[in-house]
Amino acid sequence: MESLSTLTIKGIRAGLEAKKFSALEIAQAFFRHIKETDKNIGAYLSIDEEGAAKAARATDLMIASGEKLPPLAGVPVAIKDNMLIRGGSATAASKILESYEGAYDATVVAKLKAAGAVILGKTNLDEFAMGSSTENSAFQKTKNPHDPTRVPGGSSGGSAAAVSGGMAVAALGSDTGGSIRQPAARCGVVGLKTTYGSVSRNGIIALASSLDQVGPFAKTAEDAARVFDVIRGVDTMDSTSAAREYGPDLLEPKPENIKNLVVGLPHEYFVDGLDPKVAGAVRDAIKVLESLGVRFKKISLPHTKYALSCYYIILPAEASSNLARFDGIRYARLPGVLGSLSDIYFKQKGLGFGAEPKRRMMLGAFVLSSGYYDAYYDKAQRVRTLIARDFEDAFRDVDVILTPTTPTPAFKIGEKTDNPLAMYLSDIFTIPVNLAGLPAVSIPVAQKKDDLPIGFQLIGRHFREADILGLGHFYERVTASNN
Amino acid sequence: MPSPITKATIAHLANLTRLRLTPAEEERLLHDLQKILEHFEELSAVETTGVPPMTGGTAERNVFRDDAERENTNRGAGKESFPETEDGYLKIPGVF
Repeated sequence: MESLSTLTIKGIRAGLEAKKFSALEIAQAFFRHIKETDKNIGAYLSIDEEGAAKAARATDLMIASGEKLPPLAGVPVAIKDNMLIRGGSATAASKILESYEGAYDATVVAKLKAAGAVILGKTNLDEFAMGSSTENSAFQKTKNPHDPTRVPGGSSGGSAAAVSGGMAVAALGSDTGGSIRQPAARCGVVGLKTTYGSVSRNGIIALASSLDQVGPFAKTAEDAARVFDVIRGVDTMDSTSAAREYGPDLLEPKPENIKNLVVGLPHEYFVDGLDPKVAGAVRDAIKVLESLGVRFKKISLPHTKYALSCYYIILPAEASSNLARFDGIRYARLPGVLGSLSDIYFKQKGLGFGAEPKRRMMLGAFVLSSGYYDAYYDKAQRVRTLIARDFEDAFRDVDVILTPTTPTPAFKIGEKTDNPLAMYLSDIFTIPVNLAGLPAVSIPVAQKKDDLPIGFQLIGRHFREADILGLGHFYERVTASNN
Repeated sequence: MPSPITKATIAHLANLTRLRLTPAEEERLLHDLQKILEHFEELSAVETTGVPPMTGGTAERNVFRDDAERENTNRGAGKESFPETEDGYLKIPGVF
């Protein structure tokens, strides 16, 4: 079998069809690798060998009987632990949900299962997806497989580390302000934040409902497209999901279309504070794309600098409302929480939530409270309109926008835990995309083997994942052939 | 300008969010929230007169379904993960 760390969805399909290995053998090989490696990385919160073996055997039976295989047959995947799997844990990395069991499959999970994917387990995250380093988990800190003294990024750090460490072929994450793209960049994998509405949020533990989207981590842009194609689509259980058709160019991008794309470079994202290594790596990526024939154009997104403040008003407001439901009456209750209804609420939340959820719930309650609503929440929503309009204006002139994904490579564990504002700055280049509901992908810059991973971000028009994934695909092809 | 967040605000917000906080947590939140709000001051420089608020993601349309009878296939789901049940009912402490 080829190395687990380079195995792709396409490679698995070819191997299964040529009977080089069975789906069960693949799943077992992944569990062996997880047991060896994950004690040093901490990507997974739970694994499900039994469920995975069952799914793998189903694929093997289909192969034996000559049936047509579904698109992700036998593909080992990991799921962020804020998505429900019926009968499995879904902790959101919070003590408050430690004993909770999913009552149904999230739509994305049901779609993966129907596509033949083999779910290996649930991955670590910052508690309720609040954070940028996966240090805020109530259970464990995930480490970056490229350098275990550093964070993997977050909040979907477990999913990013699982794919980066060869412990899954693909994974699902959720992205509210960068939680897929930012850890993808820091772990050297591809991470796609999907267009708002393109993927159902049913069965995802909500953080901020107007910003949250589910998307894939993968080793290549092509694999990310394959997973996205499986999980996307309108869902009656999520009224914000959109009925949109995607053309054949999503899975089979054409070089002649891709080289005709015009790519915008917003000067607000190439600022003085940018780490010189990041700036250099992104410049290298631009050169490669130029060699494909892609044209670049300087653009401006003037309200970029207000995005962080705008986001940290809107997100806590929505989160304080979404998290109110974990009251100790529904979902789960901590041991020893007793008394009247009001006692249970106060004790459960006081004991169950970690520092970051508490901070954001308090902040959310403040910006929504009487006397401050107009100055903060309403103002932020108007600024959000201006940020979305900046993108609309830019997309009249360009098809795709390219930026660095993060201002710095992965930082050291513990470096920013005492300074929430410094931590929030990790997502400064990814947040505007969520505010505008756009799709964006982080693609790893091809570098020397020992360099810390750096990603560049491609932002597309609404529902034009095909443009950004296609461009990423041809970038990967050129850099692979150069090496 | 004095910060709109004081010790009294922290107590008020903790009550609104139903959070029992330790004195150390209150102290920390007072400091953090004051710092974060200072950062938000930059928004007052943005001219937003006549700009409508963006209240959701994209493609905002109300979604309706027919008001028809349908089978609920998920009945009883979630009962196992409810902290207390009795005879198939969900149990909570007295409200009054």
